[in-house]
Amino acid sequence: MTSIVTLKASDGSQIRFVDERKASGGLKDVFFSPDRDYVVAFYRDKMDVVGRERLALITGTYRERIFNQEGGDYLKKLFVWPTATVEYDNRTGVVVPFFDKDFFFRYGSRDDDRLLGIRNREKEGKWFASAKNRAKFLDPRELGDGMTQLKTCLMIARAVRRLHTAGLAHSDLSYKNVLLDPSSGRACLIDLDGLVVPGKFPPDVAGTPDFFAPEVVATAKLDRHDPQRFLPSRLTDQHALAVLIYMNLLFRHPLKGDKVHDMNDTQRDEDLAMGERALFIEHPADPSNRVRLAGVSPAELPWKDTAKLPYTITGPYLSSLIQDAFIDGLHRPDSRPTADQWESALVKTMDLLQPCQNPNCLQKWFVFDNSTKPRCPHCGTPFRGKLPILNLYSSYREGNFRPDNHRLMVYSGQSVFSWHANRLVFPNERLSSAQAKRVGYFVQHGGEWYFVNETLPGLRDVRNNLAVPPGGKVKLEDGAQLLFSEENGGRLCAVQMAGQ
Amino acid sequence: MSSSRRLPVYLLIDTSGSMRGEPVESVNVGLRALQTSLRQNPYAIETVHLSITTFDSLIKDVLPLTALEDVVMPEIVCPNSGATLLGEALAHLLARVNVELRHSTPEHKGDWAPLLFIMTDGKPTDTLAYSEVAPRVRAFPFGSVIACAAGPKADPAGLRTLTDKVVSLDTMDSAAFTAFFQWVSSTVTSGSMSVGAATSLSLPPPPPEINVVL
Repeated sequence: MTSIVTLKASDGSQIRFVDERKASGGLKDVFFSPDRDYVVAFYRDKMDVVGRERLALITGTYRERIFNQEGGDYLKKLFVWPTATVEYDNRTGVVVPFFDKDFFFRYGSRDDDRLLGIRNREKEGKWFASAKNRAKFLDPRELGDGMTQLKTCLMIARAVRRLHTAGLAHSDLSYKNVLLDPSSGRACLIDLDGLVVPGKFPPDVAGTPDFFAPEVVATAKLDRHDPQRFLPSRLTDQHALAVLIYMNLLFRHPLKGDKVHDMNDTQRDEDLAMGERALFIEHPADPSNRVRLAGVSPAELPWKDTAKLPYTITGPYLSSLIQDAFIDGLHRPDSRPTADQWESALVKTMDLLQPCQNPNCLQKWFVFDNSTKPRCPHCGTPFRGKLPILNLYSSYREGNFRPDNHRLMVYSGQSVFSWHANRLVFPNERLSSAQAKRVGYFVQHGGEWYFVNETLPGLRDVRNNLAVPPGGKVKLEDGAQLLFSEENGGRLCAVQMAGQ
Repeated sequence: MSSSRRLPVYLLIDTSGSMRGEPVESVNVGLRALQTSLRQNPYAIETVHLSITTFDSLIKDVLPLTALEDVVMPEIVCPNSGATLLGEALAHLLARVNVELRHSTPEHKGDWAPLLFIMTDGKPTDTLAYSEVAPRVRAFPFGSVIACAAGPKADPAGLRTLTDKVVSLDTMDSAAFTAFFQWVSSTVTSGSMSVGAATSLSLPPPPPEINVVL
């Protein structure tokens, strides 16, 4: 019979676990607490002094540095962070909170989960990042839509950005170590006990296939102390992050095309394709690694058709980073976009989303393509009606406003927030609850679009030189200009009309 | 051909007379559990193709190489008595793998190196055929060959001519077989997850009921 083991943890707390191995990973065996509110994961190999010191820092100083600051409560949703270490039976273990219920399948696979039987199992990111798994196996209610998928990526980028700004690197970012809930737009990093502190603690895992940076694959055969060998770092995290975002928006791998590098040796072929000869499947100048549609199964379409759904459907901000990550920066780690850049681009792309007017569209949302006649790239439905677009401008000198390269699409239910109204506010974990409230919204009435001011004290209709107090509204017409605020950082928006 | 590589997994299962009764029933239960747990893994379901061949006096392909999602698990039966033609079974399997394995061409990507699991509860009765085929199995570019010696009459040492990875089950009850098939599942799963890794396939730790023969 299984017994319950009681231990005193490094932080002085009492830890209990059921003495029955529930899972095992590459390095650890996992045991559950009796109430399943945390798990204890024991390392199979004896841990050396350096390893223990690292765990002490991860559960101590680094943890406090991230969670005991402004926004710490928000960040608890983005990380499953080890809280303490324990010693038992000559083995070292880490105590880790149990995953939130959002990260276990509620519906699971199709046909009331009879297809695979995965209900209540962990939502490993791999399920969602594959076009075939999505189309054939998962219950559609698990998949989310164009908006929640974007939000999921934003959460991943935000979590990685927070690690990197704390001077840490994850070192094994992959869909194994990121739990996703696309149905609600949540993501959470797990397996944080292997964090790399540059210059202090080297990585102990090489990473995960599909997410290795090319320079890591290309030098994997060298001795780990060889100065030519590339080991996981912040820069390889940046590659893995780009792959994660690309895969969770486009449901295909950016480097896995049909180019064959070695006909006789599968492993060498793969090493070259993911390493020294890695090539973006959508490289504009070199089409040799394109996905050949002849061999793609119907379940993988349309996502594997890069001509029908090119990466540019992610909009201008993300497209530019995808180019930096997979065209310019693929073999030049220094050119890779940072997590912070991804976070900003994802936030701005959220504002470019437009609801598809086809009620049966699977994606429900698409990113505005800058055209006067937008159409949903997923189902082909053209937009009908008036489509106002707000272009945001900021002032850096009295009376002079310059474009922010940031647009806000208008639709029913769309809101304006303080981070639109003021360039000094950015939506992240440091946002106060007052700042998180909307300041106004859009409404269609009698065929015209209006912006309704709720809480902006200084809103002005610039062309008509009228103040619009809270409770008032302004009609959105081509060329209209609204000044959101006269305070420092206050933005102005210029209205354009697309559609018809 | 598809841009996704397949991971072919071949199971070779002893159905000689001594497997009758509880052992073969346990194998059937174990195979169903194997299928269930592989289907619950998002990597395996994308890549794994499964094949099952049984051997006694006859060699039967009870499941041709089939994508995991399409597998309908056959019921494995044992004759009353019979020889253990492991040598012939291996020769048959090598011939099949040679035909079925997709190699890379300039246009499409070939399969991952296949995995081979062999389970037997006795010694091969076709010793000459066995001694001829064993070096060919060793030389074949399998990703991994794992042999399981089940029960007291099995011969772990003899299996080592096929592969260095030999596990042995002390008993032939359902608990032992369940543990073995769980271990097969985690081996295949970690194989499907680590294909493409620059290092070779490493075995997960065996459950306590299994002894790895070193």
